[in-house]
Amino acid sequence: MTAAIHVNVEEKLFQNRYKVDHGRPHIRIKDADVCSNDCEAQSCTYVCPASCYKAEGNRTVTLITDGCLECGSCRVICTEHMNVAWEYPRGGHGILFKFG
Amino acid sequence: MSNEKFDAIVVGAGPSGNTAAYTLAKAGLKVLQIERGEYPGSKNVQGAILYADALEKVIPDFRDDAPLERHIIEQRIWVLDDNSFVGTHHRSEDFNKPPYNRYTIIRAQFDKWFSSKVREAGALLICETTVEELLMDGDRCIGVRCDRQGGEVYADVVILADGVNSTLARKAGFHGEIQAKNVALAVKEILFLPEEVLQQRFNIGEDEGVVIEMMGSVTEGMVGTAFLYTNKESLTIGVGCMLSDFKANPARTAPYALLEKLKRHPSIAPLIAGGEMKEYCAHLIPEGGFHAVPQVYGNGWMIVGDSGGFVNAVHREGSNLAMTTGRLAAETVIAAKAAGQDLNARTLKAYKTALDGSFVMKDLHKYRDMPEVLHTSPQFFTQYPGLVNRAAKTMFTVDGIDKKAKEKEILGSFKATRRWGGLVGDAFKLWRAFR
Repeated sequence: MTAAIHVNVEEKLFQNRYKVDHGRPHIRIKDADVCSNDCEAQSCTYVCPASCYKAEGNRTVTLITDGCLECGSCRVICTEHMNVAWEYPRGGHGILFKFG
Repeated sequence: MSNEKFDAIVVGAGPSGNTAAYTLAKAGLKVLQIERGEYPGSKNVQGAILYADALEKVIPDFRDDAPLERHIIEQRIWVLDDNSFVGTHHRSEDFNKPPYNRYTIIRAQFDKWFSSKVREAGALLICETTVEELLMDGDRCIGVRCDRQGGEVYADVVILADGVNSTLARKAGFHGEIQAKNVALAVKEILFLPEEVLQQRFNIGEDEGVVIEMMGSVTEGMVGTAFLYTNKESLTIGVGCMLSDFKANPARTAPYALLEKLKRHPSIAPLIAGGEMKEYCAHLIPEGGFHAVPQVYGNGWMIVGDSGGFVNAVHREGSNLAMTTGRLAAETVIAAKAAGQDLNARTLKAYKTALDGSFVMKDLHKYRDMPEVLHTSPQFFTQYPGLVNRAAKTMFTVDGIDKKAKEKEILGSFKATRRWGGLVGDAFKLWRAFR
């Protein structure tokens, strides 16, 4: 195993084109207490390829969907707790791939 | 939206949806296609390699105006260690003779082109519109509800080409949630380079392309692969691993960190040096294979493409399966309509029969045990890459040690790592899974 590589994913996401649906996030954490109290791994905080989920110091998990790549991983890995309410953004919103 | 009723509604404008809509419209059916992106392609992600055969079956002259990047003349397969690789390369002048068999493409451009053909064929396309749910009358799908004012539209059949997340079929209860062990999470970047630089680095001429498929230590023991494709004036580099493995990885490595590690590998860094990164993508790939394909038809509905899990992960094929499933679904509808039949589960069963008779289900069936074998055999992604790289290094290092002794050392390293039983068992497992 090699040493962890530090990557600033925000720099990568900065290259992408988005039409953010302000005030209407398409993904929601259903119950924040479940993340804090019942989820040991908080795997969304490292599996999300856009780093939308952040583990805060006090064991809470925060979600900002602006950089979301709409892959669906967070919903699929949250099987024990089913705590991710996941929809596609409204038509025309979200990531707009220039190349795909 | 409108009160008119359609023969068919196709949800999604990727390869499966476009092929279905094109085939239906070409046959004179009244088709509505709904796409949530700003334009077809703006939500779609692929490696991307286009296999000509599946597209040729619907648009024989696609080469005349489709946006194709490079035809593939050389395939490299590399097994990576942390600072080396062992590989095989196959390059043939036969791949340089038209009609070409495989091309690199840029999906946003390709899907836009494909969609223009669909509209020319007579289908009505609405973009920037997300389908929220299927309209059901009992167990019969009768249309869709979109996120537009008065967004209820009706059709005799709804073809779900809505991609790997298969949101609509899940909401309707046609199948359950995707399993993390049945999907790979892949991330990739596109890096721009001057055409001449790219051609020199890969030893190729104008329009000629190289693909490199990789496995080994770069995935940190997770089941997964990496790739590097040459486009006209850019490179696509990516890595994907099973989502369940990402989740369970004790190192808690982020997908983009894995990609960064790949880019810094000493065998890869020189190939991509100076490339200007212009986009970063992520996507799930359904890799559960044969056993993960859900029920794909019912009363008034059919599932095509990634939404139905139609990917041959072993051969890195997906878009050709998507196009083929889209075509077979459309042909089923056309035949039933021509015979004046109701589009219920009984008549649409012909779609599944057609799938079973095609390479789609035959190939998925052939490799049906592969996902399980790989999940239960991490040694193929951990121990073996290291062993073969060390073996090559041992054999190619000239240091006064006789070759017999080197052979013994190599064999010893394999035996020490896997034991005889493990080596024989691994060979048997692979043979079983590939046969």
